Amino acid sequence: MKTIYKLVLLTGLMLGCGTAVAFDFGKELNKALKENVQKKLGDNPGAAANVLSGIVGTSQEEEIAIGRQIAGNLLGASPLVKDKLLQKYINNVGRWVASQSERPDLPWHFGVIDSNDINAFAAPGGYVFVTRGLYQQLQNEAALAGVLAHEIGHVIRQHHLKILQQSSLVALGGEALSRQTGNDEKVQQLIGSGAEVVARSLDKNAEFEADSIAVVLSARAGYDPFSFPEVLQEIGHVARDDSSVELLFKTHPHPDERLDKLNVAMSDRLDNVKGQTLDRRFYRLKP
Amino acid sequence: MKLFKWVVTTFLLLALQPVLAAESGTALKADAIKKEPYSDAQSVGTLGVGDKVNILKKDGGWLNVTSAKGSGWVRMLSIRKGDAKKEKGVLDSFKGLASGRAGTGKVVATTGVRGLNEEELKAASFDAKELSLAESYLTSKADAQSFANQGKLKPRSFDYLPLPQ
Repeated sequence: MKTIYKLVLLTGLMLGCGTAVAFDFGKELNKALKENVQKKLGDNPGAAANVLSGIVGTSQEEEIAIGRQIAGNLLGASPLVKDKLLQKYINNVGRWVASQSERPDLPWHFGVIDSNDINAFAAPGGYVFVTRGLYQQLQNEAALAGVLAHEIGHVIRQHHLKILQQSSLVALGGEALSRQTGNDEKVQQLIGSGAEVVARSLDKNAEFEADSIAVVLSARAGYDPFSFPEVLQEIGHVARDDSSVELLFKTHPHPDERLDKLNVAMSDRLDNVKGQTLDRRFYRLKP
Repeated sequence: MKLFKWVVTTFLLLALQPVLAAESGTALKADAIKKEPYSDAQSVGTLGVGDKVNILKKDGGWLNVTSAKGSGWVRMLSIRKGDAKKEKGVLDSFKGLASGRAGTGKVVATTGVRGLNEEELKAASFDAKELSLAESYLTSKADAQSFANQGKLKPRSFDYLPLPQ
């Protein structure tokens, strides 16, 4: 149980801090995993597979439990905006969009958290949060649907879960190698560079993938799929040194780069797709 | 007389819709200017990289523009909205005007009541009560369907996009 908790905590940190600093947390995660593997293995390295099986072959229940812990931690840092109608509204929009995905039956939860930052977060198992700062940038329901669809994309493709799994595998590889060669320095190097590549490249591509999922799920749900790239354009206009986007820009490629990639992925495929923006139904928050 | 009032009000409301009235933009890449907002519509001109446009309105993924190269519809993603060199404040105050929501955007950054930085996230502790509250707002699949019906949202099938290399 303690292992899971530690993992969850670290995942939460990785989630929060993303690409730019993920390497350091990856290292921390490896350390924690190594310690735990060491403890549980004792003199029986063969047990390694069992120790890690809970992480590698994560069941839906475990996935939700991990996500739930992360969500609780995130809410500890930033509580919900105290507006029932708003929270119900975002759950309505989010659940409808999630229903268009290949995981419609997860217990999806959405929320607006009370932060001026412009950001959104996803945790495994279907927990999605948007900051008030980002919500206030949105012009209509289709834009909200697009933002939620991006986060839903992370959940259905298990991006955060995969980072965890890959890190744990690297840790195990390092552990096994260490036993064979006894060369700690080399092992550390291997773990370090290995985790670095995984954390960085996977994260960037995961963001591009989630962007393309965002327009597709928006289209499937009957929304104007171009409302999402419009949000990216708006965010791209916020000055790079503005504190409200500091964390977002640190953990995501710049919106201009994301738009470039999205442009290529979309090509002319959505040119003739029209959908609703639902400007009037959009639940507006007072500034 | 009443009808007249109504017509005027409707007109004013329409005018206040979040349109992109006369916002400027720059072509990010060379692309055709179409007569209608469809890819198979007739081309009436071609924009070159860096060409300036005035954006009149939006329809799905298309922007209705006027430019030195002609007027018509251009793919939204081929245009970078706003003048990149313009001051952020200018842009935001314009955005506020255009959307009728004066003050959003910039205010978010300056009120600065609460941010969400790495240190805060790192130091965060599990809040069970807040999590229960969040979970209490769950919408069932069936309720989401009704919600979609109310908004006349019609689901359609659409394949995932190939990932660019």
